[in-house]
Amino acid sequence: MNTEEHQLAEMLRRVAPEPPRRVTVEDVAFRLANQAAESGRRRHREPRAQRGTRVKRGAWGRGWAPVLAAAGVIVVAGASAGLATTLTSHRTASSAGGASPTASVSTSASSPAPSQLRTSAEPSWPPERVANGTWGAELINRDTFAPDSLTSGDGSLYATDAGNLARIDPANGNVLASVPFGASIPGAPVVSGSTVWVVSEYAGTSVVLRGYDARTLAQVASVTVPVSGPVSTTAGGVLTGGSSGYLYVAAGRGVVVVNPGTRQVVRQISVPAGPVSSVALAPGGSKLYVSTGAFQLLIYNPASGAQLGSSAITGLTTTAANLVATSGGVWGTTGVGMTESAWFAPGGDLTRMFRLGAGAGAGLSSVPTLSGGVVWIGGSHTLVCASPETGQVRESVVIPTDGGVVEHFGSVTVMAGHTYAYYTDQRATQAGLVTLTPPGACSS
Amino acid sequence: MEGRPSEPDGFRDFVEARSTALLRSGWLLTGDWPSAEDLVQTALAAAWPRWDSLIRQDAPELYVRKIMVNTYLRWRRRRWNGEVATGRLPELQAYGDVFAQVDARQALIAALDRLPARQRAVVVLRYFADQTESQTAAAMGCSVGTVKAHASKALARLRDAPGLAELLAGGVSS
Repeated sequence: MNTEEHQLAEMLRRVAPEPPRRVTVEDVAFRLANQAAESGRRRHREPRAQRGTRVKRGAWGRGWAPVLAAAGVIVVAGASAGLATTLTSHRTASSAGGASPTASVSTSASSPAPSQLRTSAEPSWPPERVANGTWGAELINRDTFAPDSLTSGDGSLYATDAGNLARIDPANGNVLASVPFGASIPGAPVVSGSTVWVVSEYAGTSVVLRGYDARTLAQVASVTVPVSGPVSTTAGGVLTGGSSGYLYVAAGRGVVVVNPGTRQVVRQISVPAGPVSSVALAPGGSKLYVSTGAFQLLIYNPASGAQLGSSAITGLTTTAANLVATSGGVWGTTGVGMTESAWFAPGGDLTRMFRLGAGAGAGLSSVPTLSGGVVWIGGSHTLVCASPETGQVRESVVIPTDGGVVEHFGSVTVMAGHTYAYYTDQRATQAGLVTLTPPGACSS
Repeated sequence: MEGRPSEPDGFRDFVEARSTALLRSGWLLTGDWPSAEDLVQTALAAAWPRWDSLIRQDAPELYVRKIMVNTYLRWRRRRWNGEVATGRLPELQAYGDVFAQVDARQALIAALDRLPARQRAVVVLRYFADQTESQTAAAMGCSVGTVKAHASKALARLRDAPGLAELLAGGVSS
């Protein structure tokens, strides 16, 4: 090399930055599973190309393309990628289904009184356009909350921060009330009727759910739920609600079903393959989806506790978590930190799953939410709305960076026709609730 | 499934050891981190089933780089009609003048964007990845003479690229 070439080589090595994350073996294995499933899909759907005839493949080569493979794909995935994907069916009743419920119920008289903060109809801050106006993002609140804790219900927004549950006025972003509740486990509150439920305590052998009045945040109930084995610490892992009106608690090696009306545990479903990393109830309440740390998705009859099926992808060290169930299947996340991303498994079959969104970095996540009849996936790269039936991305927008540093949208929720999210700008150390104006395709 | 091929011996070590360098090459080729990551994952996924053979030939990295370059060239040919880029991944803030670093990277990518795909690939393989001319030719499936010609033309174009003179003189460090 001559001097000029040496200068070029030196400059390239000097200026080319360090990557924000590394590629891992798990990334590669996940991709191979997708590729294998896709090749199976093609075999099922496309005619064999004649010699000299080009078969249009579509834009597959790059990224995580949708996979709608049949069950036969399992063999392909396992054989070609060194991954074992299994799909089994179970009709036997769960061994512990319907086990005797145990719970303690109390109404705490000594619980901390909620703080009634702002009653003014005026916003504390003027709305501020953020993230280059991504989907019209306007910051209406500058309080710090857990990024995946925002939820809506009973005419209000709710979010948690370090140990506090807050009720937020959707009109102006004002925090109307706040109450400390413990929060040893992260997660979004669940609004059931006029009560907001959170996981308050985790003591090794039990977790305590606390219920707060949706208006005043006065504590109205607590339910102690027995657990066996470690309890998930992912944002959407432990507590979920659903159309049945029950609460579902990922309780180590089982799922505990709680009737929030009577504050009673009504059923315990044993999950020997646990510990359970997340739980979600299908619309209509006919199926209960349970993920375990081994990247396994189990399907149960929530009424009987009978296991209906399971699918898994082995060969990965990451876990499935943060489940959301829709009419078309199950959504979740895998990976943590810089390798985190969201996926959709049609029909709850992990062997057919594909990735959505571009994930999140910097220790953040892209937890999917179902709100307003649409699935939303935030993160630090893309903001996505997708069909709950097919998993097809309806609209997607690139989230800009602030001078090269992460901006993040999480826990998108829709209420009364308005769309909200939690926004973080790490460079500006700015965070709070934003209103969004997504494209029309994101309306259900 | 019993009897399935498992993760090849040494594959994880290779990924852990070379991931950063491969990603940086990918970034120079594509100009953004999501595409770079996609490129590297594509190449590693292709290498996985052939890993034992590649190890026997003592050429895993050569093969991975070859797949990366060919995939990149294929993408450029297709120009990704209809593909929506996922944007540039945030870059970790470092010490020093962050804005100057970002400017330097943008100037470099802008300069590389001026190059035809094969010239850009030669620049990355030859000068960043430190491949010999014959290794570069092997990765690109062309002759050594063609590599030399691409390199010469690329250097000529880069000489005129705005903002690159300062970088070549040793302006801003990453």
